[in-house]
Amino acid sequence: MSMAPPAASSGEPAPRSKRRSADRLVRKRQYLHVGQLHAAAEATTVTTILGSCVAVCLWEPKSRIGGINHFVLPHWARTDRLSPRYGNVAVASLVESLCALGCRVENLKAKIFGGAAILQASWEASLGERNIELARVLLAQKGIPIVGEDVGGRHGRKLVFQTDDGTAWLKRL
Amino acid sequence: MKKILLVDDSTTTLMMEKMVLSRARYDLVTAADGEEAVEMATREQPDLILLDIVMPRMDGFEACRRLRQSEQTQDIPIIMVTTRGEAENVEQGYKLGCNDYVTKPIDSLELTTKIESLLGS
Repeated sequence: MSMAPPAASSGEPAPRSKRRSADRLVRKRQYLHVGQLHAAAEATTVTTILGSCVAVCLWEPKSRIGGINHFVLPHWARTDRLSPRYGNVAVASLVESLCALGCRVENLKAKIFGGAAILQASWEASLGERNIELARVLLAQKGIPIVGEDVGGRHGRKLVFQTDDGTAWLKRL
Repeated sequence: MKKILLVDDSTTTLMMEKMVLSRARYDLVTAADGEEAVEMATREQPDLILLDIVMPRMDGFEACRRLRQSEQTQDIPIIMVTTRGEAENVEQGYKLGCNDYVTKPIDSLELTTKIESLLGS
């Protein structure tokens, strides 16, 4: 499955010079482990694999600065050090990192992925559902629109995200 | 009481997993490699399997494949345990039928939350 960024899905092809420029762009590659985040001014292709975890992808189209996190649990339990393994820390840290690189919150766009609930054993929301809900709530609080998502379900996901233009490729595992 | 099968060739890892999970009320059984895991799972019918990948005799991939092939074990949830830096393991594990994964060193809160989510608290 391929999810194109808004500009590419608007039906207006980019000018030929820009397309050539994008084609020549050599992106850094990075694998994002569980509980990490990556924010970069330099174009980077980030790969990660999600089960019940959620990845929030943010980018600023004009500056082509973006980043991604991969969190495991919704809330920091205050039992250990602050870590982007927790959604509330991971989303705040990603936004802060992008702002430190020069982005403005009001210009950011978001895509969210993951949050699978492989088996639902109880009536309570699954871990995946709680992670998805947290991502939605925190992004809404910051006024960041979610322009693409593939969440929930019963399958793992391999996600490849381009930090500069927000393009995301997804493979259901 | 829910039963969990812990599979790892490292006694240290097994001890740590037992320590983390003993705080909750689970019946814990162990296996030291994939071959033993398949036998134990068939005999003990655990509610969940925590499966290491790199093991002697039979690795976690082959064990997962056999568990998914057997009618007696095909529906048991499997959480694979991988070492950080083995990204390809995670993708392969999902393809073979694992349900979720955790990375070593194991984070106790992460592990217990994932298990509770799968089994009910």
